[in-house]
Amino acid sequence: MSLPILQAKSLNKNFGGLRAVGQVTFDVDPLGVTSIIGPNGAGKTTLFNLLSGLYIPDEGQLLMNGEDITQLDPVARLSRGMARSFQITNLFFDLTVEQNLQLASQKLESWPKLFYATSKSPLTLQRAQELLEEFHLEAKKDESAGALSHGEQRRLEIAVTMALRPKILLLDEPTQGMSQGDTQETSQLIAQLAKNVTILLIEHDVELVMDLSKHVIVMAQGEKIAEGNPRDVRSNPIVQTAYFGDAA
Amino acid sequence: MDKYQQKAIRMMEWLMLIAAILLVIIGKLTGDTFFLRLATEALIFGGLALSVDLLLGIVGLLSLGQALYFGFGAYLSAVILRDWIPSFWVCILTVTFASALLGWITSYIALRSKGVYFALISFGLAQVFAKSIYNTRSLGASDGMVGVPIIQIPLPFVTLNLGDAVTFFVITFIFMGSIYFALKYFLYTPLGRIWAGVRSNESRLPYLGYNTAAPKRIAFILAAMVAGVSGALYPMLRGFVSPELMYFSVSGNAVITVVLGGVGTLIGPLFGSSLLMILKSVIGTLTLHHHIVIGLIFVVLVIFAPKGIVGMLSTKLKNRGVR
Repeated sequence: MSLPILQAKSLNKNFGGLRAVGQVTFDVDPLGVTSIIGPNGAGKTTLFNLLSGLYIPDEGQLLMNGEDITQLDPVARLSRGMARSFQITNLFFDLTVEQNLQLASQKLESWPKLFYATSKSPLTLQRAQELLEEFHLEAKKDESAGALSHGEQRRLEIAVTMALRPKILLLDEPTQGMSQGDTQETSQLIAQLAKNVTILLIEHDVELVMDLSKHVIVMAQGEKIAEGNPRDVRSNPIVQTAYFGDAA
Repeated sequence: MDKYQQKAIRMMEWLMLIAAILLVIIGKLTGDTFFLRLATEALIFGGLALSVDLLLGIVGLLSLGQALYFGFGAYLSAVILRDWIPSFWVCILTVTFASALLGWITSYIALRSKGVYFALISFGLAQVFAKSIYNTRSLGASDGMVGVPIIQIPLPFVTLNLGDAVTFFVITFIFMGSIYFALKYFLYTPLGRIWAGVRSNESRLPYLGYNTAAPKRIAFILAAMVAGVSGALYPMLRGFVSPELMYFSVSGNAVITVVLGGVGTLIGPLFGSSLLMILKSVIGTLTLHHHIVIGLIFVVLVIFAPKGIVGMLSTKLKNRGVR
Protein backbone atom coordinates (compact mmCIF):
# COMPACT_ATOMS: atom_id res chain seq x y z
CA MET A 1 0.00 0.00 0.00
CA SER A 2 1.49 3.36 -1.04
CA LEU A 3 1.80 6.33 1.30
CA PRO A 4 -0.85 9.05 0.97
CA ILE A 5 0.26 11.97 -1.21
CA LEU A 6 -1.81 14.37 0.88
CA GLN A 7 -2.87 14.12 4.51
CA ALA A 8 -5.22 16.58 6.21
CA LYS A 9 -5.22 16.29 9.99
CA SER A 10 -7.93 17.99 12.03
CA LEU A 11 -8.14 21.08 9.82
CA ASN A 12 -10.11 23.97 11.31
CA LYS A 13 -11.02 27.31 9.81
CA ASN A 14 -13.27 29.91 11.41
CA PHE A 15 -14.51 33.19 9.97
CA GLY A 16 -15.48 35.22 13.01
CA GLY A 17 -18.00 33.09 14.86
CA LEU A 18 -18.65 30.83 11.87
CA ARG A 19 -16.86 27.51 11.72
CA ALA A 20 -16.38 27.00 7.97
CA VAL A 21 -14.27 23.85 8.31
CA GLY A 22 -14.12 21.85 11.53
CA GLN A 23 -11.87 18.93 12.46
CA VAL A 24 -11.57 17.63 8.91
CA THR A 25 -9.21 14.69 8.58
CA PHE A 26 -8.60 12.59 5.46
CA ASP A 27 -5.90 11.05 3.30
CA VAL A 28 -5.54 11.22 -0.47
CA ASP A 29 -3.82 8.24 -2.06
CA PRO A 30 -1.67 8.72 -5.17
CA LEU A 31 -3.23 8.71 -8.64
CA GLY A 32 -6.88 8.35 -9.53
CA VAL A 33 -9.65 10.70 -8.51
CA THR A 34 -10.64 11.47 -4.92
CA SER A 35 -13.74 13.63 -4.69
CA ILE A 36 -15.20 15.92 -2.09
CA ILE A 37 -18.96 16.29 -2.25
CA GLY A 38 -21.53 17.98 -0.10
CA PRO A 39 -24.50 20.31 -0.29
CA ASN A 40 -24.08 24.06 -0.82
CA GLY A 41 -22.36 25.69 2.15
CA ALA A 42 -20.76 22.43 3.26
CA GLY A 43 -17.30 24.07 3.31
CA LYS A 44 -15.85 22.34 0.25
CA THR A 45 -14.35 25.44 -1.35
CA THR A 46 -13.02 26.69 2.00
CA LEU A 47 -11.37 23.29 2.43
CA PHE A 48 -9.87 23.65 -1.07
CA ASN A 49 -8.59 27.09 -0.14
CA LEU A 50 -6.93 25.58 2.93
CA LEU A 51 -5.38 22.82 0.88
CA SER A 52 -4.07 25.17 -1.83
CA GLY A 53 -2.67 27.79 0.55
CA LEU A 54 -5.11 30.64 -0.02
CA TYR A 55 -6.11 30.29 3.64
CA ILE A 56 -3.95 29.07 6.51
CA PRO A 57 -5.89 26.84 8.93
CA ASP A 58 -6.53 28.05 12.47
CA GLU A 59 -5.67 24.57 13.68
CA GLY A 60 -4.60 21.31 12.16
CA GLN A 61 -1.87 20.09 9.88
CA LEU A 62 -1.46 19.41 6.19
CA LEU A 63 1.18 17.00 4.91
CA MET A 64 2.22 16.47 1.31
CA ASN A 65 4.35 13.38 0.75
CA GLY A 66 5.03 13.47 4.49
CA GLU A 67 6.25 17.10 4.48
CA ASP A 68 4.37 19.64 6.58
CA ILE A 69 3.05 22.27 4.16
CA THR A 70 0.47 23.84 6.49
CA GLN A 71 2.09 27.28 6.54
CA LEU A 72 3.30 27.39 2.92
CA ASP A 73 1.87 29.87 0.41
CA PRO A 74 0.48 28.78 -3.00
CA VAL A 75 3.80 29.47 -4.75
CA ALA A 76 5.68 27.13 -2.41
CA ARG A 77 2.95 24.49 -2.66
CA LEU A 78 3.11 24.62 -6.45
CA SER A 79 6.87 24.14 -6.35
CA ARG A 80 6.17 20.91 -4.42
CA GLY A 81 3.73 19.80 -7.10
CA MET A 82 0.30 21.03 -6.00
CA ALA A 83 -1.80 22.96 -8.53
CA ARG A 84 -5.41 24.06 -8.44
CA SER A 85 -8.20 25.31 -10.66
CA PHE A 86 -11.02 27.61 -9.62
CA GLN A 87 -14.78 27.30 -9.41
CA ILE A 88 -15.21 30.57 -11.31
CA THR A 89 -13.07 30.52 -14.44
CA ASN A 90 -9.87 32.30 -13.51
CA LEU A 91 -7.80 32.97 -16.59
CA PHE A 92 -5.92 35.84 -18.22
CA PHE A 93 -8.81 36.86 -20.40
CA ASP A 94 -7.07 39.50 -22.51
CA LEU A 95 -4.19 37.18 -23.37
CA THR A 96 -4.47 34.60 -26.12
CA VAL A 97 -4.91 30.91 -25.36
CA GLU A 98 -1.28 30.29 -26.32
CA GLN A 99 -0.06 33.17 -24.15
CA ASN A 100 -2.03 31.80 -21.18
CA LEU A 101 -0.30 28.46 -21.63
CA GLN A 102 3.12 30.03 -22.16
CA LEU A 103 2.71 32.08 -19.01
CA ALA A 104 1.77 28.94 -17.10
CA SER A 105 4.65 26.93 -18.60
CA GLN A 106 7.53 29.39 -18.47
CA LYS A 107 8.35 28.46 -14.88
CA LEU A 108 9.95 25.36 -16.41
CA GLU A 109 12.80 27.58 -17.61
CA SER A 110 15.71 28.75 -15.46
CA TRP A 111 15.24 32.29 -14.13
CA PRO A 112 17.79 34.08 -16.37
CA LYS A 113 15.51 33.13 -19.27
CA LEU A 114 13.09 35.69 -17.84
CA PHE A 115 15.03 38.29 -19.81
CA TYR A 116 15.40 36.33 -23.06
CA ALA A 117 12.85 36.54 -25.82
CA THR A 118 10.14 33.91 -25.35
CA SER A 119 11.09 32.55 -28.78
CA LYS A 120 14.36 31.42 -27.12
CA SER A 121 12.59 29.48 -24.38
CA PRO A 122 12.23 25.99 -25.89
CA LEU A 123 10.80 24.31 -22.77
CA THR A 124 8.02 26.92 -22.56
CA LEU A 125 7.15 26.69 -26.23
CA GLN A 126 7.22 22.91 -26.24
CA ARG A 127 5.05 22.56 -23.12
CA ALA A 128 2.53 25.12 -24.38
CA GLN A 129 2.29 23.22 -27.67
CA GLU A 130 1.81 19.89 -25.87
CA LEU A 131 -1.03 21.38 -23.82
CA LEU A 132 -2.68 22.91 -26.89
CA GLU A 133 -2.77 19.46 -28.45
CA GLU A 134 -3.68 17.50 -25.32
CA PHE A 135 -6.60 19.79 -24.50
CA HIS A 136 -7.76 20.22 -28.12
CA LEU A 137 -7.21 23.98 -28.12
CA GLU A 138 -4.80 24.29 -31.04
CA ALA A 139 -7.40 25.78 -33.39
CA LYS A 140 -8.08 28.49 -30.82
CA LYS A 141 -4.52 29.30 -29.85
CA ASP A 142 -4.53 32.85 -31.24
CA GLU A 143 -7.92 33.78 -29.79
CA SER A 144 -8.08 35.68 -26.55
CA ALA A 145 -9.15 33.53 -23.61
CA GLY A 146 -12.09 35.86 -23.05
CA ALA A 147 -13.48 35.03 -26.52
CA LEU A 148 -13.67 31.26 -25.91
CA SER A 149 -16.89 29.39 -25.16
CA HIS A 150 -17.52 28.50 -21.52
CA GLY A 151 -16.58 24.86 -22.11
CA GLU A 152 -13.33 25.84 -23.82
CA GLN A 153 -12.49 28.23 -21.00
CA ARG A 154 -12.98 25.48 -18.42
CA ARG A 155 -10.72 23.21 -20.49
CA LEU A 156 -8.09 25.94 -20.73
CA GLU A 157 -8.36 26.42 -16.96
CA ILE A 158 -7.38 22.78 -16.44
CA ALA A 159 -4.66 22.99 -19.10
CA VAL A 160 -3.12 25.99 -17.34
CA THR A 161 -3.00 24.11 -14.04
CA MET A 162 -1.35 21.13 -15.75
CA ALA A 163 1.43 23.22 -17.27
CA LEU A 164 4.05 22.51 -14.61
CA ARG A 165 3.23 18.78 -14.49
CA PRO A 166 1.87 18.80 -10.94
CA LYS A 167 1.75 15.69 -8.78
CA ILE A 168 -1.63 16.56 -7.33
CA LEU A 169 -4.31 18.61 -9.03
CA LEU A 170 -7.13 20.26 -7.11
CA LEU A 171 -10.10 20.78 -9.44
CA ASP A 172 -12.89 23.00 -8.11
CA GLU A 173 -16.11 22.19 -9.99
CA PRO A 174 -14.49 21.80 -13.42
CA THR A 175 -17.81 21.13 -15.17
CA GLN A 176 -19.74 24.02 -13.64
CA GLY A 177 -22.09 25.59 -16.17
CA MET A 178 -21.12 23.17 -18.93
CA SER A 179 -23.45 21.59 -21.46
CA GLN A 180 -23.97 17.82 -21.27
CA GLY A 181 -21.59 17.24 -24.16
CA ASP A 182 -18.85 19.40 -22.64
CA THR A 183 -19.35 17.70 -19.26
CA GLN A 184 -18.88 14.30 -20.86
CA GLU A 185 -15.76 15.45 -22.65
CA THR A 186 -14.31 16.96 -19.45
CA SER A 187 -15.13 13.79 -17.53
CA GLN A 188 -13.14 11.74 -20.04
CA LEU A 189 -10.30 14.26 -19.83
CA ILE A 190 -10.17 14.00 -16.03
CA ALA A 191 -10.19 10.21 -16.19
CA GLN A 192 -7.30 10.36 -18.66
CA LEU A 193 -5.32 12.82 -16.49
CA ALA A 194 -5.90 10.72 -13.37
CA LYS A 195 -3.74 7.96 -14.81
CA ASN A 196 -0.67 10.11 -14.22
CA VAL A 197 -1.74 12.73 -11.67
CA THR A 198 -3.55 12.54 -8.36
CA ILE A 199 -6.79 14.47 -8.70
CA LEU A 200 -8.78 15.90 -5.84
CA LEU A 201 -12.14 16.99 -7.18
CA ILE A 202 -15.00 19.11 -5.91
CA GLU A 203 -18.04 18.52 -8.09
CA HIS A 204 -21.79 19.03 -7.87
CA ASP A 205 -22.58 16.45 -10.52
CA VAL A 206 -22.98 13.40 -8.28
CA GLU A 207 -23.22 10.92 -11.14
CA LEU A 208 -19.95 12.20 -12.58
CA VAL A 209 -18.29 11.93 -9.17
CA MET A 210 -19.50 8.39 -8.64
CA ASP A 211 -18.28 7.36 -12.11
CA LEU A 212 -14.85 8.93 -11.83
CA SER A 213 -13.82 8.55 -8.20
CA LYS A 214 -12.07 5.78 -6.40
CA HIS A 215 -12.68 7.50 -3.06
CA VAL A 216 -15.33 10.00 -1.99
CA ILE A 217 -15.33 12.34 1.01
CA VAL A 218 -18.67 13.80 2.05
CA MET A 219 -18.94 17.09 3.89
CA ALA A 220 -21.85 18.85 5.52
CA GLN A 221 -21.87 22.01 7.61
CA GLY A 222 -18.08 22.24 7.58
CA GLU A 223 -17.44 18.71 8.80
CA LYS A 224 -16.61 15.42 7.19
CA ILE A 225 -19.58 13.13 7.70
CA ALA A 226 -18.48 10.11 5.68
CA GLU A 227 -15.88 8.73 3.30
CA GLY A 228 -15.29 5.57 1.35
CA ASN A 229 -15.65 4.12 -2.11
CA PRO A 230 -18.53 5.50 -4.21
CA ARG A 231 -20.82 2.51 -3.63
CA ASP A 232 -20.44 2.66 0.18
CA VAL A 233 -20.94 6.40 0.22
CA ARG A 234 -24.03 6.19 -1.94
CA SER A 235 -25.63 3.67 0.40
CA ASN A 236 -24.56 5.41 3.61
CA PRO A 237 -27.77 6.55 5.42
CA ILE A 238 -26.03 9.58 7.00
CA VAL A 239 -24.97 10.76 3.55
CA GLN A 240 -28.41 10.14 2.14
CA THR A 241 -29.95 12.25 4.87
CA ALA A 242 -27.43 15.09 4.76
CA TYR A 243 -26.74 15.23 1.05
CA PHE A 244 -29.46 13.55 -0.92
CA GLY A 245 -32.27 14.50 1.51
CA ASP A 246 -34.56 12.42 3.69
CA ALA A 247 -36.57 11.23 0.71
CA ALA A 248 -33.55 9.35 -0.65
CA MET B 1 -2.21 42.42 -29.03
CA ASP B 2 -3.72 41.28 -32.35
CA LYS B 3 -2.02 41.40 -35.75
CA TYR B 4 -3.84 44.59 -36.77
CA GLN B 5 -2.57 46.41 -33.71
CA GLN B 6 0.93 45.13 -34.42
CA LYS B 7 0.58 46.37 -37.99
CA ALA B 8 -0.67 49.75 -36.76
CA ILE B 9 2.31 49.99 -34.40
CA ARG B 10 4.76 49.19 -37.20
CA MET B 11 3.15 51.84 -39.39
CA MET B 12 3.47 54.41 -36.62
CA GLU B 13 7.10 53.50 -36.02
CA TRP B 14 7.80 54.20 -39.70
CA LEU B 15 5.73 57.37 -39.56
CA MET B 16 7.76 58.63 -36.60
CA LEU B 17 11.01 57.89 -38.46
CA ILE B 18 9.83 59.61 -41.63
CA ALA B 19 8.58 62.64 -39.68
CA ALA B 20 11.92 62.86 -37.87
CA ILE B 21 13.88 62.71 -41.13
CA LEU B 22 11.62 65.38 -42.68
CA LEU B 23 12.05 67.63 -39.66
CA VAL B 24 15.82 67.32 -39.85
CA ILE B 25 15.87 68.04 -43.58
CA ILE B 26 13.57 71.06 -43.23
CA GLY B 27 15.58 72.31 -40.25
CA LYS B 28 18.84 71.98 -42.16
CA LEU B 29 17.48 73.58 -45.35
CA THR B 30 15.58 76.49 -43.82
CA GLY B 31 17.63 77.10 -40.70
CA ASP B 32 14.33 77.49 -38.82
CA THR B 33 14.72 75.36 -35.71
CA PHE B 34 11.47 76.29 -33.93
CA PHE B 35 9.70 73.04 -34.84
CA LEU B 36 12.81 70.97 -34.19
CA ARG B 37 13.04 72.30 -30.65
CA LEU B 38 9.34 71.69 -30.21
CA ALA B 39 9.73 68.13 -31.47
CA THR B 40 12.69 67.57 -29.16
CA GLU B 41 10.64 68.71 -26.19
CA ALA B 42 7.76 66.48 -27.34
CA LEU B 43 10.11 63.49 -27.42
CA ILE B 44 11.45 64.29 -23.95
CA PHE B 45 7.92 64.40 -22.53
CA GLY B 46 7.21 61.33 -24.69
CA GLY B 47 9.86 59.55 -22.60
CA LEU B 48 7.88 60.43 -19.47
CA ALA B 49 4.72 59.13 -21.15
CA LEU B 50 6.56 55.92 -22.08
CA SER B 51 7.30 55.33 -18.42
CA VAL B 52 3.62 55.91 -17.56
CA ASP B 53 2.62 53.45 -20.29
CA LEU B 54 5.04 50.83 -18.97
CA LEU B 55 3.24 51.02 -15.62
CA LEU B 56 -0.32 51.60 -16.83
CA GLY B 57 -0.54 49.80 -20.15
CA ILE B 58 1.84 46.91 -19.54
CA VAL B 59 1.58 46.20 -15.79
CA GLY B 60 -1.77 47.85 -15.04
CA LEU B 61 -0.58 50.39 -12.45
CA LEU B 62 -1.92 53.92 -12.90
CA SER B 63 0.76 56.33 -11.71
CA LEU B 64 -0.41 59.89 -11.10
CA GLY B 65 3.01 60.98 -9.89
CA GLN B 66 5.46 59.90 -12.55
CA ALA B 67 6.62 63.53 -12.84
CA LEU B 68 8.45 62.91 -9.56
CA TYR B 69 11.11 60.86 -11.38
CA PHE B 70 11.10 63.17 -14.40
CA GLY B 71 11.63 66.21 -12.18
CA PHE B 72 14.19 64.37 -10.09
CA GLY B 73 16.15 63.51 -13.25
CA ALA B 74 15.87 67.10 -14.47
CA TYR B 75 17.08 68.61 -11.19
CA LEU B 76 19.91 66.12 -10.78
CA SER B 77 20.95 66.74 -14.37
CA ALA B 78 20.92 70.51 -13.80
CA VAL B 79 22.99 70.22 -10.62
CA ILE B 80 25.54 67.90 -12.25
CA LEU B 81 25.91 69.96 -15.44
CA ARG B 82 25.91 73.40 -13.82
CA ASP B 83 27.66 72.82 -10.51
CA TRP B 84 29.70 69.67 -10.91
CA ILE B 85 30.84 68.54 -14.35
CA PRO B 86 29.33 69.49 -17.74
CA SER B 87 29.58 65.94 -19.08
CA PHE B 88 26.68 64.35 -20.93
CA TRP B 89 27.73 60.78 -20.14
CA VAL B 90 28.43 61.41 -16.44
CA CYS B 91 25.06 63.13 -16.20
CA ILE B 92 23.09 60.38 -17.97
CA LEU B 93 24.76 57.53 -16.09
CA THR B 94 24.37 59.23 -12.70
CA VAL B 95 20.73 60.09 -13.33
CA THR B 96 20.01 56.54 -14.53
CA PHE B 97 21.43 54.96 -11.38
CA ALA B 98 20.00 57.60 -9.04
CA SER B 99 16.53 57.25 -10.60
CA ALA B 100 16.73 53.48 -10.24
CA LEU B 101 17.66 53.93 -6.59
CA LEU B 102 14.84 56.41 -6.01
CA GLY B 103 12.43 54.09 -7.83
CA TRP B 104 13.58 51.16 -5.71
CA ILE B 105 13.11 53.08 -2.45
CA THR B 106 9.74 54.60 -3.36
CA SER B 107 8.50 51.25 -4.72
CA TYR B 108 8.38 50.01 -1.13
CA ILE B 109 5.88 52.77 -0.38
CA ALA B 110 3.88 52.82 -3.62
CA LEU B 111 3.63 49.08 -4.31
CA ARG B 112 2.10 48.37 -0.92
CA SER B 113 -1.23 49.12 -2.53
CA LYS B 114 -3.10 48.54 -5.78
CA GLY B 115 -5.61 50.30 -8.02
CA VAL B 116 -6.80 53.71 -6.99
CA TYR B 117 -4.73 53.59 -3.79
CA PHE B 118 -1.56 53.09 -5.79
CA ALA B 119 -2.56 56.08 -7.95
CA LEU B 120 -3.12 58.23 -4.87
CA ILE B 121 0.14 57.19 -3.20
CA SER B 122 2.13 57.91 -6.37
CA PHE B 123 0.38 61.30 -6.58
CA GLY B 124 1.15 62.02 -2.93
CA LEU B 125 4.81 61.06 -3.25
CA ALA B 126 5.26 63.47 -6.17
CA GLN B 127 3.54 66.26 -4.25
CA VAL B 128 5.82 65.75 -1.24
CA PHE B 129 8.93 65.90 -3.43
CA ALA B 130 7.67 68.89 -5.42
CA LYS B 131 6.89 70.88 -2.29
CA SER B 132 10.23 69.93 -0.76
CA ILE B 133 12.08 71.19 -3.84
CA TYR B 134 9.86 74.29 -3.87
CA ASN B 135 11.09 75.10 -0.37
CA THR B 136 14.76 74.23 -0.89
CA ARG B 137 16.71 77.45 -1.38
CA SER B 138 19.90 75.73 -2.57
CA LEU B 139 17.89 74.30 -5.50
CA GLY B 140 16.45 77.69 -6.41
CA ALA B 141 13.23 77.18 -4.45
CA SER B 142 10.18 78.39 -6.40
CA ASP B 143 12.37 80.03 -9.07
CA GLY B 144 14.06 76.78 -10.00
CA MET B 145 17.60 76.61 -11.36
CA VAL B 146 18.82 78.61 -14.34
CA GLY B 147 22.10 78.78 -16.18
CA VAL B 148 22.53 75.15 -17.19
CA PRO B 149 25.34 75.27 -19.77
CA ILE B 150 25.13 74.02 -23.33
CA ILE B 151 26.66 70.55 -23.44
CA GLN B 152 29.16 69.02 -25.83
CA ILE B 153 29.26 65.26 -26.35
CA PRO B 154 32.75 64.08 -27.27
CA LEU B 155 32.70 60.98 -29.48
CA PRO B 156 35.78 59.22 -30.99
CA PHE B 157 35.84 61.21 -34.24
CA VAL B 158 33.52 64.11 -33.64
CA THR B 159 32.21 66.32 -30.86
CA LEU B 160 28.47 66.90 -30.88
CA ASN B 161 27.16 70.26 -29.76
CA LEU B 162 23.75 70.12 -28.10
CA GLY B 163 23.38 73.83 -28.74
CA ASP B 164 22.66 72.85 -32.32
CA ALA B 165 18.93 72.09 -32.62
CA VAL B 166 19.35 69.42 -35.29
CA THR B 167 22.01 67.58 -33.29
CA PHE B 168 19.96 67.73 -30.12
CA PHE B 169 16.89 66.45 -31.92
CA VAL B 170 18.77 63.54 -33.50
CA ILE B 171 20.38 62.59 -30.17
CA THR B 172 16.99 62.72 -28.39
CA PHE B 173 15.35 60.73 -31.18
CA ILE B 174 18.02 58.00 -30.96
CA PHE B 175 17.80 58.07 -27.18
CA MET B 176 14.02 57.68 -27.05
CA GLY B 177 14.08 55.18 -29.90
CA SER B 178 16.53 53.02 -27.94
CA ILE B 179 14.38 53.19 -24.81
CA TYR B 180 11.29 52.38 -26.87
CA PHE B 181 12.82 49.31 -28.52
CA ALA B 182 14.34 48.12 -25.22
CA LEU B 183 10.93 48.28 -23.53
CA LYS B 184 9.30 46.66 -26.54
CA TYR B 185 11.82 43.81 -26.33
CA PHE B 186 10.79 43.18 -22.71
CA LEU B 187 7.18 42.65 -23.79
CA TYR B 188 8.22 39.53 -25.67
CA THR B 189 10.17 37.98 -22.80
CA PRO B 190 8.79 35.79 -19.99
CA LEU B 191 9.10 38.84 -17.74
CA GLY B 192 6.86 40.80 -20.11
CA ARG B 193 4.38 37.90 -20.07
CA ILE B 194 4.32 38.04 -16.26
CA TRP B 195 3.66 41.80 -16.45
CA ALA B 196 0.75 41.06 -18.77
CA GLY B 197 -0.43 38.48 -16.25
CA VAL B 198 -0.27 41.05 -13.44
CA ARG B 199 -2.32 43.46 -15.53
CA SER B 200 -4.83 40.84 -16.57
CA ASN B 201 -5.37 38.80 -13.37
CA GLU B 202 -2.78 39.31 -10.65
CA SER B 203 -4.45 37.10 -8.06
CA ARG B 204 -4.14 34.04 -10.33
CA LEU B 205 -0.35 34.29 -10.68
CA PRO B 206 0.63 32.74 -7.31
CA TYR B 207 -1.17 29.56 -8.43
CA LEU B 208 1.11 29.47 -11.46
CA GLY B 209 4.14 29.79 -9.19
CA TYR B 210 4.80 33.53 -9.41
CA ASN B 211 5.29 35.98 -6.59
CA THR B 212 4.20 39.22 -8.21
CA ALA B 213 6.12 41.62 -5.97
CA ALA B 214 9.46 41.30 -7.80
CA PRO B 215 8.15 41.69 -11.38
CA LYS B 216 6.13 44.74 -10.31
CA ARG B 217 9.15 46.23 -8.58
CA ILE B 218 11.30 45.69 -11.69
CA ALA B 219 8.69 47.52 -13.79
CA PHE B 220 8.43 50.32 -11.26
CA ILE B 221 12.21 50.81 -11.17
CA LEU B 222 12.46 50.65 -14.98
CA ALA B 223 9.71 53.25 -15.26
CA ALA B 224 11.53 55.50 -12.78
CA MET B 225 14.74 55.14 -14.83
CA VAL B 226 12.98 55.98 -18.12
CA ALA B 227 11.27 59.02 -16.59
CA GLY B 228 14.49 60.12 -14.85
CA VAL B 229 16.64 59.87 -17.98
CA SER B 230 14.00 61.71 -20.02
CA GLY B 231 13.98 64.43 -17.37
CA ALA B 232 17.78 64.62 -17.54
CA LEU B 233 17.52 65.84 -21.13
CA TYR B 234 15.14 68.67 -20.22
CA PRO B 235 17.65 71.16 -18.71
CA MET B 236 20.05 70.41 -21.56
CA LEU B 237 17.36 71.65 -23.94
CA ARG B 238 15.83 74.50 -21.96
CA GLY B 239 18.75 75.58 -19.79
CA PHE B 240 16.65 75.66 -16.62
CA VAL B 241 14.50 73.54 -14.32
CA SER B 242 11.63 74.48 -12.01
CA PRO B 243 9.50 72.73 -9.37
CA GLU B 244 6.57 72.71 -11.81
CA LEU B 245 8.25 69.77 -13.53
CA MET B 246 7.16 67.60 -10.60
CA TYR B 247 3.63 68.98 -10.39
CA PHE B 248 0.49 67.01 -11.02
CA SER B 249 -0.09 68.87 -14.30
CA VAL B 250 3.02 67.17 -15.72
CA SER B 251 2.04 63.71 -14.40
CA GLY B 252 -1.54 64.25 -15.59
CA ASN B 253 -0.40 65.39 -19.03
CA ALA B 254 1.67 62.21 -19.34
CA VAL B 255 -1.40 60.07 -18.56
CA ILE B 256 -3.44 62.06 -21.12
CA THR B 257 -0.66 61.54 -23.66
CA VAL B 258 -0.75 57.78 -23.08
CA VAL B 259 -4.53 57.61 -23.44
CA LEU B 260 -4.37 59.78 -26.54
CA GLY B 261 -1.73 57.60 -28.20
CA GLY B 262 -3.02 54.23 -27.09
CA VAL B 263 -2.55 52.54 -23.71
CA GLY B 264 -0.13 49.61 -23.68
CA THR B 265 1.30 50.27 -27.14
CA LEU B 266 4.50 52.18 -26.19
CA ILE B 267 4.64 53.90 -29.59
CA GLY B 268 1.31 55.57 -28.77
CA PRO B 269 2.73 57.71 -25.95
CA LEU B 270 5.59 58.96 -28.15
CA PHE B 271 3.11 59.76 -30.90
CA GLY B 272 0.58 61.23 -28.47
CA SER B 273 3.23 63.47 -26.97
CA SER B 274 4.12 64.85 -30.39
CA LEU B 275 0.45 65.37 -31.23
CA LEU B 276 -0.22 67.14 -27.95
CA MET B 277 2.77 69.41 -28.50
CA ILE B 278 1.59 70.28 -32.03
CA LEU B 279 -1.94 70.96 -30.75
CA LYS B 280 -0.61 73.17 -27.97
CA SER B 281 1.58 75.24 -30.24
CA VAL B 282 -0.91 75.53 -33.12
CA ILE B 283 -3.93 76.30 -30.95
CA GLY B 284 -1.74 78.47 -28.70
CA THR B 285 -1.10 80.80 -31.64
CA LEU B 286 -4.87 81.19 -32.16
CA THR B 287 -6.10 81.66 -28.61
CA LEU B 288 -4.80 82.24 -25.12
CA HIS B 289 -7.32 79.73 -23.84
CA HIS B 290 -5.75 76.79 -25.64
CA HIS B 291 -6.14 74.51 -22.62
CA ILE B 292 -9.93 74.68 -23.00
CA VAL B 293 -9.73 73.68 -26.65
CA ILE B 294 -7.23 70.89 -25.97
CA GLY B 295 -9.39 69.63 -23.11
CA LEU B 296 -12.41 69.47 -25.40
CA ILE B 297 -10.42 67.70 -28.12
CA PHE B 298 -9.28 65.18 -25.51
CA VAL B 299 -12.87 64.53 -24.37
CA VAL B 300 -14.02 64.01 -27.97
CA LEU B 301 -11.09 61.69 -28.73
CA VAL B 302 -11.70 59.56 -25.64
CA ILE B 303 -15.40 59.24 -26.54
CA PHE B 304 -14.84 58.37 -30.20
CA ALA B 305 -11.42 56.67 -30.01
CA PRO B 306 -11.10 55.20 -26.51
CA LYS B 307 -8.18 53.03 -27.57
CA GLY B 308 -6.21 56.04 -28.75
CA ILE B 309 -4.55 56.67 -32.07
CA VAL B 310 -3.11 53.15 -32.29
CA GLY B 311 -6.53 51.67 -31.56
CA MET B 312 -8.16 53.90 -34.17
CA LEU B 313 -5.59 52.93 -36.78
CA SER B 314 -5.78 49.20 -36.02
CA THR B 315 -9.59 49.30 -36.24
CA LYS B 316 -9.30 50.96 -39.66
CA LEU B 317 -6.83 48.29 -40.78
CA LYS B 318 -9.11 45.56 -39.50
CA ASN B 319 -12.14 46.99 -41.31
CA ARG B 320 -10.15 47.13 -44.51
CA GLY B 321 -8.88 43.59 -43.95
CA VAL B 322 -5.23 44.59 -44.36
CA ARG B 323 -2.95 41.58 -43.94
